Amino acid sequence: MAASTTPPGMVDITIDGAAVRVPAGTTVFDAARMNGVTIPTLCHLQNETPVGVCRLCLVDTGARVLAASCVRPVEPGMKVVTNSEKVLSARKTLLELLMADHPAPCARQTNSHDCELETLAQAAGITEPRFAKRTVARGQDDSSLSIAVDHDACILCDRCIRGCDEVRTNFVLGRMGKGYSAGIAFDLNSPMGDSTCVSCGECMVSCPTGALTNKSVTGTAIAEGPGAEGFEAEELLKFPVFKGVSGTFLELNRGAIVKRRFRKGELICKEGDFGSTAFYILEGRARVSISTPIAHVKTQGGSKGLFKRLTSTLVGREEDTRAEEAGDKTIPIDAAVDLSYGNPVAELGPGDLFGEMTCMNFYPRSATVRAESDVVAYEMLRNVLDIMMKNKTFKAQIDETYRRRALENHLRGVPMFADLAPDFIEHLKETVELQRFAPGQAIARQGDVADSFYLVRIGFVKISENYPGGELVLAYLSRGDYFGEIGLLGGGVRTANCTALDHVEVVRIPGEDFRQMVERFPTVRRGLELVAEERRFANQQRLEMIQGVPIDQFLSQGLMEAQSLLVLDLQNCTRCDACVNACADAHDGVTRLVRDGLRFDHYLVATSCRQCRDPLCMVGCPVGSIRRRNSLEVIIEDWCIGCGLCARNCPYGNINLHPFEVMAEDPENPGRKKATIKQKATSCDLCTHLKEPSCVYACPHDAAHRVEPRQFFQEVIHQGWKIK
Amino acid sequence: MRETGAVIFDDLRAIQLRHGFLPKAELEALSARTQTPLYQIHSVASFYPHFHLMPPPRAEIRVCADMSCHLNGACELRAEMETRFAGLAKSDVEIRDVSCLGRCDHAPAVSINDRIFTGMNAETAEAIARAAMRGEELHEDHPQTQRVECASDPYDGPEKYRVLRQLIINKDYDEVLATLKESELRGMGGAGFPTSMKWDLVRKQPVAEKYIVCNADESEPGTIKDRFIMTHLAHLVIEGMAIAGLVTGAKQGILYIRHEYHLQEEILGEEIRRCYRVGLLGKNLQGSGLDFDLSVFVSPGGYICGEESALIEAIEGHRAEPRNKPPFPGVNGLYQKPTVINNVETFANAPQILMRGVDWYKSAGQGGSRGLKFVGVSGHCAKPGIYEVPMGIPMREVLFGYAGGVRGGRQLKAFAPSGPSSGYLPASMADVRLDFKALADAGSMLGSGAIVVCDDTTCMLDMALNAVRFYRNESCGKCVPCRVGSQKMVDLLARWSQGSVAEAQYRADLGLLDELSHAMAQASICGLGQIVPAPIQSVLKHFRSEVDAHVLRGECPSGMCMSAARRAGEANRVGIRP
Repeated sequence: MAASTTPPGMVDITIDGAAVRVPAGTTVFDAARMNGVTIPTLCHLQNETPVGVCRLCLVDTGARVLAASCVRPVEPGMKVVTNSEKVLSARKTLLELLMADHPAPCARQTNSHDCELETLAQAAGITEPRFAKRTVARGQDDSSLSIAVDHDACILCDRCIRGCDEVRTNFVLGRMGKGYSAGIAFDLNSPMGDSTCVSCGECMVSCPTGALTNKSVTGTAIAEGPGAEGFEAEELLKFPVFKGVSGTFLELNRGAIVKRRFRKGELICKEGDFGSTAFYILEGRARVSISTPIAHVKTQGGSKGLFKRLTSTLVGREEDTRAEEAGDKTIPIDAAVDLSYGNPVAELGPGDLFGEMTCMNFYPRSATVRAESDVVAYEMLRNVLDIMMKNKTFKAQIDETYRRRALENHLRGVPMFADLAPDFIEHLKETVELQRFAPGQAIARQGDVADSFYLVRIGFVKISENYPGGELVLAYLSRGDYFGEIGLLGGGVRTANCTALDHVEVVRIPGEDFRQMVERFPTVRRGLELVAEERRFANQQRLEMIQGVPIDQFLSQGLMEAQSLLVLDLQNCTRCDACVNACADAHDGVTRLVRDGLRFDHYLVATSCRQCRDPLCMVGCPVGSIRRRNSLEVIIEDWCIGCGLCARNCPYGNINLHPFEVMAEDPENPGRKKATIKQKATSCDLCTHLKEPSCVYACPHDAAHRVEPRQFFQEVIHQGWKIK
Repeated sequence: MRETGAVIFDDLRAIQLRHGFLPKAELEALSARTQTPLYQIHSVASFYPHFHLMPPPRAEIRVCADMSCHLNGACELRAEMETRFAGLAKSDVEIRDVSCLGRCDHAPAVSINDRIFTGMNAETAEAIARAAMRGEELHEDHPQTQRVECASDPYDGPEKYRVLRQLIINKDYDEVLATLKESELRGMGGAGFPTSMKWDLVRKQPVAEKYIVCNADESEPGTIKDRFIMTHLAHLVIEGMAIAGLVTGAKQGILYIRHEYHLQEEILGEEIRRCYRVGLLGKNLQGSGLDFDLSVFVSPGGYICGEESALIEAIEGHRAEPRNKPPFPGVNGLYQKPTVINNVETFANAPQILMRGVDWYKSAGQGGSRGLKFVGVSGHCAKPGIYEVPMGIPMREVLFGYAGGVRGGRQLKAFAPSGPSSGYLPASMADVRLDFKALADAGSMLGSGAIVVCDDTTCMLDMALNAVRFYRNESCGKCVPCRVGSQKMVDLLARWSQGSVAEAQYRADLGLLDELSHAMAQASICGLGQIVPAPIQSVLKHFRSEVDAHVLRGECPSGMCMSAARRAGEANRVGIRP
C-alpha cells in the first residue's frame, strides 16, 4: 500500500508481513487484534488504561529494543513482527521468570482453572522453571470477608489497581515498596478487611492469577427453600443498593443472596434461633415481636422448715423489682426499631433491614418476625451484607431509616434521656453519625481526649481499664448502652478503653451537642453525673481492692469481688452431692451448682457465678438482657428470650436455663395461643430468700462454706497456699 | 509557578522531621487534609528509601555497598561493624547496605542517621554510631570544598553570565541552536543524545507551558563529576538552564538534585538567589519582558530517579517509575508538557561553547573528539578524584597520569569506563580513547565518565555480582524483566561465586543467562533493566577463566569469594529496602 493512498486519519503498517490499515493513535496491540493476530498479555485489559508492565505483548518494530504493543501507537510504515524467534524467546523467558515465583497451581487455577499466567506458561511449554525460586514469601491476607489475597501469586500487573481506581473509583489499592520486594497494598498497607475497601470485587475480577480470589464463605449457598428465588446478577444490579458492585462478583456469590416470598402470616424468623442471614424487605409489612414472657425467675417459699421444697415462678418487674434492674423502657432488638417493655411488638416495612447482628456476628435471632401481608425480601449471607453495607447509597439509606425511626426511641429508651425536648432530638437527627468498627478496633483509648458520646447500636463494646497486672474488663456494652460521658463530664480525658468486640455500630454524638444537651436539660445532667459518680466510685473501690491483693493473682484466678463464694473443704467433703441436690430442690429441680472448680490447697471453690473479670456470658446476648451493673453483679433482665447463648458462653457453667410452661403464640396457628415450654436463664442467687444458702444448709459434713472472697484469698495468700 | 509534587514530599519530610518516621495517624491526617487517597501516600512513601514507615533505630548505619566502596573494603567494614554491635537491639542500631552515596573518591562511605561520612574505618564509624546512639547531633564532613579553577570556566573575572545577558538582549535563539548543532554537543549523562536536537524539538512544540529540567541525580556507582561541577561551576549550570529556557520558550526550570548532596544544594541555592537579586532569574529578566524561574528539587532518593521519565514522575510526586516511550519528554514531559532534560555537565557545556565558540570546543579535545570532560576516577587508583580532561584522551593517560596509577604498586587488572553500566574492560584495552564512538566500538560506553580502577587482586565475578546486585536493589519494580530478572540474575551469579556446579549445569546456566540477558535487554521499559546484563557479559567475555575457576573448581583466584565475610553477608542482602 503506498503512503499516498492512505486516507487522512488512517495509518498503514504491516503486521507479520500483512498490510493493515488502522486509525491513527491505535496501539499495535489493538491493530493486531483487529486484524486477527492475537498477542498474549497479562497486564492488559480492554477496559483499563494500558500500562505495559508485564511486557509479554512485546513485538519487534525494528527499533533498538522490542516494544510493548499495548502501549505502542502505530506509526506510518511501521513493520511489526509479532512472532520472530527474538520476540518468542524474550516472551518465554518472561513467563519462566514469573512462573519461578508463582505458587502453581494458585488458588485461581485450583478453583476455576483459569489462571492466565499458568495457562500461558503451559502453552509455552514451561513445566519446571529453571530460575531460582523466591526465598522470602510475601504472604497471604485473609482479613476480608469476601476476597482472599495471596501476595505470592501477585505478578504486579496493576490490573486490580486500575480496576479499583479507574473502573470503580474507589482508590484503595496501590503498589507498595520497590523492586523485587514491591507488592500491592490496601490503604497504608492495612489488611484488606480493615481497609477502606468496599468489597466491590472489581480487583478480584480483574486479577489474572490467584492473588485476589473470591472467598467461599461457610455455607455460601442459602438453602433454596420454598419461596426462595435465586436470580441473575443483572437483575440485582438494577437496584440502587447494588450500584457500584461488580457483576462478576455478584455472579460468584450467587448462592449468598436469594429473594424470598412469604405469604401473609408466615414465619420469617424465630427468636432464639441461630442463623447467619439478614433480611432486607422489598415489599410488604412484617410484625416483629417477642413471644417469651417478659419476666424473670423468682424463687420463693421455704423460709423455715427443713428441706422444704421451694418454688420458682416467672414474675415481671412491676411485681418484683430488683435493685439492680436498669429500668429500661425499651428492649433493643436486631432491627431498625426497638420494642417497648410493656408491649413488645413493632412493624417493619419496605427498605428495612433486620437480622444484621445475626448475619455479621452469628448471634441468635433476637425476636420473632412474621409476615403481616405478603412479603418479598432479600435474604443474604455475611459477604453480601458486607458489600451492601459498604455501598454508599445503601449505607445512606440505612442511616436515614435509623435517624427517622430509631434514634428517638433509642435515646428515650435510656431513662435519663427520656426528658429530652423533641426539638433537640430533631437537632440530633441532623448531627449524629453512625460509625462502624471492625472486631478489635479501638473506639476510644484510655488517656485519649474525649470528644464524643456514644450509644451502642449493633454489637458489643468492651470497656476495660489498664492495670499494671493486665487489663480489667469493666463491662460489655450492647445495644441501648452508652459510653463516653465520664470523659466529657470529667477531665476531658477517656478513663477507659472502649474496644469493638465484634462488628460494632455506634451512634456518635459530637461533644459539642453533648455539652448543649447537659446544659439545656438539667435532669439529663444530674442523671449522667450520678452515673458518672457511681462509676468513678466503683472504679475507686476496685482500685483499692486490687491494691489489697496482687492484681495478677486476682485476675489469674478469675475470681473477682462482691459475691460470696461457695467453698468446699475437701478434707471433710465425702462427695455425697447433697449440696447439689439441695440446690436443685431449691430451684424447681434445676441445679445452679456444680461441684467442680478451682482448688486452693484442700479447698475447692465450687462453680457459681463469680462475676468474672471478663464476663463472656454477656457477649452475644441478642436482646442485651444479661448485664453487669455498677456493683459488677450480673443480672438477667426480664426480656431474656431463653436462647441459651449465655449459658453456653459461661466458661464455668454457672448459668443454667430454667424451663417454664407458658401460654404462647402457636407458630402453626397465628393468632392462637398454646401451652409451650419457654426457657429463662438463671444464675446462682445465693438463695437470698433463705437465711442460709440451701447448699450450705444441706451439707451433712460441715464441708460447704460461703466465704467472703477477699478475706478468703488474703488468708490463702498469707498462708502461702499454692493454687492447683 | 506551577506547584510541583514536592508538596507531598515536603509534607512527608515535615512529618518525618517531627517523629523520626511516618506514623500511620499522621499519614491518615495528611490524606484527609490533601484529599489524597491513603494508598497513594503509602505507595509513594514506601517507594523512596528516604522515608521510614517504622520508627528508625537510634543509630542507622548504612555502609555503601557499591563498586568503589566495595573495592575499598566496604564488605569487610560492614562485617566488622556487625561484630562490634553484635547483641544490640534493633531499636538501638541497625546495620545495612546502601546504594552508592556519591563519595566514591573517598571510599568507603558510611551513612549514619542520614549523615554521610567518608574514608571510614571500623573505629571511626563505631565512634560516630555510638555518638548517634547517645543522641548527639552528627555533622557531615565535606572534603574538597576549596574553590578549584577549571579550564571549562569561560569567565575568568567576577563578571559571569555574559552569554545569558547577551541572549536576553539579542534574543538570537536560532544562532544558539546553530552553534550547538555545529559543536555537536552531546548529552553528558550517559546516553549522548545530541543536545541541539533536544532543544530544537521542545522549541518547536506549539505549547505555552514547557519545562527545563536539570538532571543532577547522578547515582551510578563511580559517578561523582556532577557533584564537582555543581560545587565549582554552579554558575555555568544555571546559565545553561536559563539559556535553554529562553531558546525553547520554557519559563520554569527545575534542578533535580540527589538528596545526599547537601553541600551542593546549598551552593546552588545561594547562586540562584544571587541570580534572582541581579535579575538573571525570575520575572522580566533584565527588563526584557522575558521570564525564567529556577528552583531546586531535592530527590527523595533512588538511582532510578536518574532515568529521565522516572525523574519527571518523582517531580510530579509519584513513584519514580519510568514511563513507556514514546512519547519522549521533548513532547510529553513534566506534567505532559514539552520538557528539556539534560545532565548537569551538558548544561554547563552550553555557555562554554557559546562564549568561546565552536572552534575552541573542537580544539579542546584530542584526536578529533570535542571539548573537555569531567571524569571521576575511583577504586584502586593512587589519586582518586575528579579530573577535567580533554575528550579523546587515551584512558591510560587518565588512569596513570591524572589518577596516579594503581595504588600500592599493584598491576592494573581491569577498569570500568563508566560504572557498572559500561561493563569491565581488561588492562590490555587501556589505550582506548575517552570518546563516545571509541568506547562503543570497544563494547563499552563513555557514559557519565565514572572510571573505576580494579587492581590485580580483584575478583571479576565478584565485581559482576556486585554490579547486578546494585541494579537489583535499585530496580523500581515496574516491569517484569527488570524486577524479577535482576533478582534471578543475582541468584545465579551468587550460586556461581560460591562454586562447585557440575559442568553440565554450568553449561545450562550459561544458556539460561544468555536467554535472561536477551529478555532483559530487549523487554525492559528503561535503560536500567536493559543494562543489567552488561557487567557479567563483559566479565564472561574478558575474564571467562576466572568465572570457570569459581564455578567448576570452587576456587576464587583472588581468594575473596569464599571468605566468611562474603558468605555471611550474603544472607542479609536480599534487597536493600526492608
